[in-house]
Amino acid sequence: MSVVRLIARDELRLMARNRVAVIAFVLLVLLTLAAVLSSWAHQRGIAELRSRHAAAAEQAFDAQPNRHPHRVVHYGTFIFRPLSPLAAFDPGVDAFTGNSMFLEGHRQNTANFGDVRQSSLLIRFGQLTPAFVLQIVAPLLLIFLGYGALARERERGTLRLLMLQGVGRGELVRGKGAALGVVALLAGLPAMIGFALIAGQPGAQIVPMLTIAGGYLAYLALWVVVILLVSAFARRSRDALLALVAIWAVTVILLPRVVPDIANAAVPLRNRLQTDVAIARDLRRMGDSHNPDDPHYAAFKQSVLDRYGVTRVEDLPLNYKGVLAMEGERLTSSLFDRYAGESFAAQARQNALVDAAGILSPAIALRSLSMAAAGTDFAGHRRFLDQAEAYRYDLVQRLNRMQATDVSYADDTATDAGADQRKRVAADNWQRMPDFRFERPDGAVLARAALPGLAILVAWLMIATGLLALATRRLGVR
Amino acid sequence: MTEAPPIHIDALTLAYGTHRVLDGLTLSVPAGSITALLGGNGAGKSTTLAALLGFAKAQSGTIAVCGVDPGRQPDLARKRIAYLPENVALYEHLTAVENADYLLALSGERQSKAAITDALAAAGLQDRAWDQRLGGFSKGMRQKVAIAVALLRQVPVLLLDEPTSGLDPRATADFNALVSAVRDRGTAVLMVTHDLLSAADVADSIAFLEGGRVAEAVPASGPDRFDIRALHARFQVGADRLAA
Repeated sequence: MSVVRLIARDELRLMARNRVAVIAFVLLVLLTLAAVLSSWAHQRGIAELRSRHAAAAEQAFDAQPNRHPHRVVHYGTFIFRPLSPLAAFDPGVDAFTGNSMFLEGHRQNTANFGDVRQSSLLIRFGQLTPAFVLQIVAPLLLIFLGYGALARERERGTLRLLMLQGVGRGELVRGKGAALGVVALLAGLPAMIGFALIAGQPGAQIVPMLTIAGGYLAYLALWVVVILLVSAFARRSRDALLALVAIWAVTVILLPRVVPDIANAAVPLRNRLQTDVAIARDLRRMGDSHNPDDPHYAAFKQSVLDRYGVTRVEDLPLNYKGVLAMEGERLTSSLFDRYAGESFAAQARQNALVDAAGILSPAIALRSLSMAAAGTDFAGHRRFLDQAEAYRYDLVQRLNRMQATDVSYADDTATDAGADQRKRVAADNWQRMPDFRFERPDGAVLARAALPGLAILVAWLMIATGLLALATRRLGVR
Repeated sequence: MTEAPPIHIDALTLAYGTHRVLDGLTLSVPAGSITALLGGNGAGKSTTLAALLGFAKAQSGTIAVCGVDPGRQPDLARKRIAYLPENVALYEHLTAVENADYLLALSGERQSKAAITDALAAAGLQDRAWDQRLGGFSKGMRQKVAIAVALLRQVPVLLLDEPTSGLDPRATADFNALVSAVRDRGTAVLMVTHDLLSAADVADSIAFLEGGRVAEAVPASGPDRFDIRALHARFQVGADRLAA
């Protein structure tokens, strides 16, 4: 057996004979298993619930009676964001961003019903997911098991004993690293079981899964190297433990909590009320379609009349009210798009600041990587909002077009007793309207989005390994 | 042609920064003999051991362990040495047998459990302690485990650093008998100690270290055999000089 394996085996034997270490390891494994199972069940429940509600909303929309198309525009419909299969591993921002939207004419609503608003406040402190356990808890276990790996040998005089047996410094560090690496792999095993469960789901994508697995592997390997590095430098085991716990507290707990607040202060976002007021003000400026003297709508009306070579809207081959509704929707949507674009841009700048903080905290880099590959990051949420808005606009304009073509202007403006029936179009039209189908991004797109986080982690790992190589050379030198 | 002694130091100079600790030290320990190295605090005893172990590099002079310069080839030199520090460092989470097995495996000299228990018995460790973890072992028991490892490794050089400090007279006598047995197997033993009585009891020769060099070396037998009273007086004088 090689010296490295002998040292690794003895280190594992030491851990196995330490009751506290064994209990801590077993607790972590149980915690991860519980996280995998509960997260799996939770996500399955959510996916089933959303699917059921989406079907019910589609059914309700399709079941509308003969109706005026504009009433259908205001009847609207609910859509739901289907979960990414990897959300069972890392739900990301899903619990905070909302997952359903009410789509209607003249308005661009935001997503609602995030789990955070429906659950106890405890969810804000971190959900019990495999990602949470591996990001937060696993490094702490590695610290408690490995802080003394090298410092203890120096402190107790066994470092020289090892050297006297002909053990090289490099062999010693590699052996200790191998033992901690085995612990890290065992700690991650339940999460890998969760991965295997996810892999069995329809729609699971192998490239993002491999990216996530690689990211977490690099993250845990980084902790192993950092633990050995600090243990190599520290004069006493106790000093190593204190230093490592401080590093963990700052990089894993403090920075990931503080950096988003800093980003929020650096790039402030308009709140909902401010946005609504600004949009209402711009809408007033845009014009009033009901005011015959409104310059924009007067010009629009004239352009339509000119296009068809008539002088009165009554003579148009289309229902002018439908045409007007289409123009109104086009204008309001472009306004909403502009405000949404500004908000997205600000949020993207905030996220870029947070991602850049991965240089200070590998936990932030890993979180970005994990959410991006799982499709549960802000980009994933925006993907849903963009597709939802595209669907809403298309639906509303189809209905407006239906009003323009299937309801005559005369009927639409009539007020006699039978007018209400004549304004209605057949109910089967609603069933022919396309349903919302969320288009998932390609696996390569998700993996590409995770690359910056992975690059930061790999850079961290390389730097820490270089420092450990330097520290190894000094090991045991008086 | 006479064979070179396993421990051979000639005109060795070693300094930590500007502080010269060894200043022309010359010392030889032949195979099958015990040399006690005495001296006051700071005389350079522990530094001599560190130089032999390759943990401290000399500025000039020669030093060799079985012909190997530990400053240049520490790993090779260490393979020829068994070292017992004042506080024997072993693994407390392992039993006596496991300690011996682990250390022998690391040095590439793995042996059977029977051979290990034989060595532990030869070192005087009672059989009920063989499979006990070292957490509750006394210094004397730890020394026995370390000596057993040295016996199994069959190294030609044994270095001892204050081996009898903290041992009661009975344990000291046991230890001295054990070291004598190791010497009788042909091992060169260098023992750094403050324990003049123990040195007089077990050593074949005694070297006094003063100011980083051997001030006087006296044999333990023959017409020039050392006088314990004279040695004691000399030791006191040396200590006073250093204190001054």
